[in-house]
Amino acid sequence: MNARSFCRAFFCAAVAAAPFAFPPNAAAQETIRFGAPLPLTGALAPEALKQQQGYDLWAEQVNKAGGITVGGKKMKVEIVYTDYQSNTPRAVQAAEQLITQGKVDFLFSPFGSGAAKAASTVSEKYRMPTIASTASSAQVYDQGYKYLFGTFTPNDTLTTPLTQIVAQTAPNVKRVAIIARNDLFPLAIAQEMEKSAKNRGLEVAMFEKYAINTMDHSSALAQVKAANADWIFVTGYINDLVLIRKQMSDQRIGAPVVTMIAGPAYQEFIDAAGAGAENISSAAWWHPAVRYQGKDLFGTADNFVKLFRAKYNSTPDYAQASSAVSGALFQMAIEKAGSLDREKVRDALAGMNVVTFWGPVHFGPNGQIDSLEPPVFQIQGRKAVVVHPPEIKQGELQLGVGMQK
Amino acid sequence: MFLQILVNGVVLGCLYACIAAGFSLVWGVLNVINLMHGSFIVLGSYLAWGAYHSMGVSPWVTIAIAAPLFYLMGYLVQRGVLNRVMAAPVLVTLTLTFGMDLILNNAMILAFKADYRKLILDPPLGTVAWGSVVVPVDRLVATVFALVLTGALYVLLRRTRMGRAIIAVRLDRDAARLMGVDVPVTYAAAFGLGAAMAGCAGVLLALIFPISPLSSIPYLGKAFVVCVLGGLGSVPGAVLGGLVLGLVESFGAMAIGPEHAVTLSFALLIGFLVFRPQGLLGKRGFE
Repeated sequence: MNARSFCRAFFCAAVAAAPFAFPPNAAAQETIRFGAPLPLTGALAPEALKQQQGYDLWAEQVNKAGGITVGGKKMKVEIVYTDYQSNTPRAVQAAEQLITQGKVDFLFSPFGSGAAKAASTVSEKYRMPTIASTASSAQVYDQGYKYLFGTFTPNDTLTTPLTQIVAQTAPNVKRVAIIARNDLFPLAIAQEMEKSAKNRGLEVAMFEKYAINTMDHSSALAQVKAANADWIFVTGYINDLVLIRKQMSDQRIGAPVVTMIAGPAYQEFIDAAGAGAENISSAAWWHPAVRYQGKDLFGTADNFVKLFRAKYNSTPDYAQASSAVSGALFQMAIEKAGSLDREKVRDALAGMNVVTFWGPVHFGPNGQIDSLEPPVFQIQGRKAVVVHPPEIKQGELQLGVGMQK
Repeated sequence: MFLQILVNGVVLGCLYACIAAGFSLVWGVLNVINLMHGSFIVLGSYLAWGAYHSMGVSPWVTIAIAAPLFYLMGYLVQRGVLNRVMAAPVLVTLTLTFGMDLILNNAMILAFKADYRKLILDPPLGTVAWGSVVVPVDRLVATVFALVLTGALYVLLRRTRMGRAIIAVRLDRDAARLMGVDVPVTYAAAFGLGAAMAGCAGVLLALIFPISPLSSIPYLGKAFVVCVLGGLGSVPGAVLGGLVLGLVESFGAMAIGPEHAVTLSFALLIGFLVFRPQGLLGKRGFE
């Protein structure tokens, strides 16, 4: 190829590429598009549904109020969902498609720490401000990325207050047995629990993992019984925890303290475990009982719960609240930036220091929230009762789960 | 603890046999790998849950309702859909049942949502203890029912006219047809029986496992392993395969930790496929 034909080819290519390099003027846009890749079908579908409810409620409320104010102009909000069928590699693909083909302005991460971490690479590549509403593991945020923000504090912020309150209330609790689902989040939280327990001088008498889709826990529980633990700490998702609680009754296993993460935060757990749910303790990032006077459009947990009940006829848990607050945080950042410019919105998120119905929100240098103190709660009389931190507590930690009289 | 784990393993094994019996029958007789089996079980669980929590019908009564209901459903599915492709290679029926399972499963997600539910008997059945060994009554009752149901299926196949016809078709379809057996009807009856077994298993399992459309895949996975261990189409094989799997998982979990129990059962599956593909009680060369 000689110099002249090279120049001609280059010129043609440049002309062809120009529309891509200079997208249509953002000012002509009427709505702000938020991309949300979610596992709407497959094993994680119940979790996806929760996130979707949170995003939808936020979008509905924003649009009812006229939209988000961008430089003096009200713009409506639209959430663009794609289903990645509970398949993490597809989540990355879905996120990329939303950015390149869906032309979304901002992005919500896919569900959970694993998928959020995988998809964060795409956000970084396209400099797309992204909020992860369900990712807690520190490994998601330690990649040095600038465009990823998360509303869950690290896992140890759940287990440290738990051990603290148990040590205060039940000084006789010495031996801990831990059973963990062999899965990213449940295993990480169990490992944090092991550390927290050891830091408090408790003896970890047993640490066993069980495989995903385990249909019978009787052997693991026989070992728990033999370990004679004062504190049984189980991690998993609702189905695992309901089954394990049932099998604990089946084998007449009890302990002064039984903690389960992450099922008891959900109303379905209380319904499915029935009387067995009594006195099970847990911790989560948010609870309808928290009392913060927020500057976001929901304002208080009470107001959020009221709006949520009106729309879905059920009580929200931390997953739905986190999704809704993620939308509200984008809204505040866009309004502060006064434009849809990705860099400006990113900077507004990074500099955010505000109280919301979710709690105080400030992101650390790695993008993960560092201002929130997650509540510890316990099921008492078929209701979740906050027992820590002291500022918002509704009752005292009760001892004894399934103990023989 | 050894005795406790032995008892746990036996009880679990009978539940697995209950899950697998209908699947084994359909696979063995019709050479149809019915991927809807797991969803049939879940549907049975929902039937039990709904009957108990909205109408107060005890699961023991629901079994009597579920059996004819699921038989009819299975009969119609086979008559209306599967019989049209029975002459096609096994992959066609596999794909067809896979597709129908997707429809059935997603219909259940739409109808019942993906939330986990639980049938909680009031008052609970509790547990019985012999010395240090504790057995939950619901599992015990389910075990007895599972044995009775698989026993009834065995008697039905051996002693009744329809059962003899099913076995005749299984052994040699063409010869059976020459003897005057109505092959499409026999197929439909066998599929109906398989569905009825799945429905009844679902009712029993509702007492034990949380119920959700998402449970169908683990059930199907267990049914596969049990069938390969026990031998296809053999009812006693399903019981034996179930017991072996239950015991291996229970003792495996104790010996090498619960995280590897499932791995162990699939390693066993691969071992059987390589060294004894006909299973413990299956006959070699039967397709």
